[in-house]
Amino acid sequence: MNNCAVVKDYFALYLYGELSFDEEERVESHLDSCVDCRKALERQREVQVALDNIAIEPSPTLLRSCREELHMRLAEESQSTAKHGWWEHFTDMLTGRSVTAGWLKPAGALTLVALGFGVARFIPQGSFGGAMEMGMVEPASRVRYVEPASDGKVQIVLDETRQRIISGDPNSQKIRVLLLSAAKDPSDPGLRAETVDILNGSAQSADVRDALTFALLHDQNAGVRLKAMEGLKPFAQQPEVRAAMTQVLLTDSNPGLRTQAIDLLTKALNQDNPAMSYDRQVIGAMQELMQRENNAYVRQRCKAALESVKASTETY
Amino acid sequence: MAQKTGGQLEETALIRAAQGGDSAAFEQLVRAYDQSVLRLAMNLLRSPEDAQDVYQEAFLRVFKNLDKFRFDCSFHTWLYRIVTNLCLDHMRKRKVRKEEPTIVATPDGPIDRMDAVPEERVDGDPQRFLFSGELRKRVKEVLAGLTPRERMVFELRHYQGLRLRRIGEILGTTEEAAKNCLFRATQKMRAALGDFV
Repeated sequence: MNNCAVVKDYFALYLYGELSFDEEERVESHLDSCVDCRKALERQREVQVALDNIAIEPSPTLLRSCREELHMRLAEESQSTAKHGWWEHFTDMLTGRSVTAGWLKPAGALTLVALGFGVARFIPQGSFGGAMEMGMVEPASRVRYVEPASDGKVQIVLDETRQRIISGDPNSQKIRVLLLSAAKDPSDPGLRAETVDILNGSAQSADVRDALTFALLHDQNAGVRLKAMEGLKPFAQQPEVRAAMTQVLLTDSNPGLRTQAIDLLTKALNQDNPAMSYDRQVIGAMQELMQRENNAYVRQRCKAALESVKASTETY
Repeated sequence: MAQKTGGQLEETALIRAAQGGDSAAFEQLVRAYDQSVLRLAMNLLRSPEDAQDVYQEAFLRVFKNLDKFRFDCSFHTWLYRIVTNLCLDHMRKRKVRKEEPTIVATPDGPIDRMDAVPEERVDGDPQRFLFSGELRKRVKEVLAGLTPRERMVFELRHYQGLRLRRIGEILGTTEEAAKNCLFRATQKMRAALGDFV
């Protein structure tokens, strides 16, 4: 291996460290005596480094989309084949009954959201009208591959995703899991509002109250927040609900919600002994609101609320 | 026999749990490998849609056949056999179809899908950017000229950093055959990038 051209042929494998001991030895002994080849090796090294720059790193969005679709397809696969329901495993993950899968709860919730996206993705846009009428394809189909077969026929691979209707008691575990995730569906405020409305009927359950509290504090849509507040009204005495209402009082951008929070918190105040610690916090929040509230009506309601419990309208 | 590391033991436990129907364990296995699977498919097929198809099909096959996995090889090798076979199928179909163009029509006019993929690792140096741009174009051309097997071996060695012995295991061939394949691929690269080298 003394010829420069032959040695250069081996540069790539040399840099990958994939030459045998003898081959490597021959390359190195040639390099020792050939300045041109040493320079050529450096250029080869630069090219190999430059090759790294053209690698494509899949975007986080693509990875997330892949994971969501996989969840959906695994769910379909499992439901069609499992003897013991994969669904039970899945709901275990979401509800935390599975010890190992607590970290998967957000992913599970995303999956359920993805079910909606997935179904929407596969719904045809009028292209299968004729075939559907002839009963050839499912209502939600998409041609994945078309391939000529050897016998002159054509093989068509269809992706088919069906919408399913699940009905059941809103207090049953399966339905509850779906409702709780639909209440957080970021894409559809209408769906969230209707779901929160249904969940309001089960607010005696702690996980539902958590979901309503989350919606009250974080939902972008004021209508959904108002509905969540409606469901939490009967529980305004509970410390966590009271804390959420206090937060609404000070941070919600909607004056209607702030007014409702004042009314509920006032009703929940211990009229006989307003000096109790949590009441003091509420009164303190109302006094703070008096300092920063720009809406005259909300200020008026807040002032009346403070006067009704004989509290000062000023902060000290 | 070499002792298994903690990570291997953990993976073995995960596989056994997944074989027993533990979906959380299966999820963990997916999460451990799915990013590199997607990267491999994306770089080989240069199409997000095709890469996504390979990702789905690969993990569905793993899910359906996990009970047949007997620990004769590492899970990584087994998974990569599935993924590389799927990618090779895609590449061979594409060759038959005379290579589908990456140019697609958009409301803003025709664009090259792969040009829409950001170059994540190019730094701000303009000279380097120009060099990289020209090199990128030439590399795309030469990569398209490799046979699917050469392309696969090059990808696994250069971008996935796998040793030829492992590549041979994955592709069901010998280390020597994988080496010959890589040699041919790098020869073609060198011929095409002559003035860079």
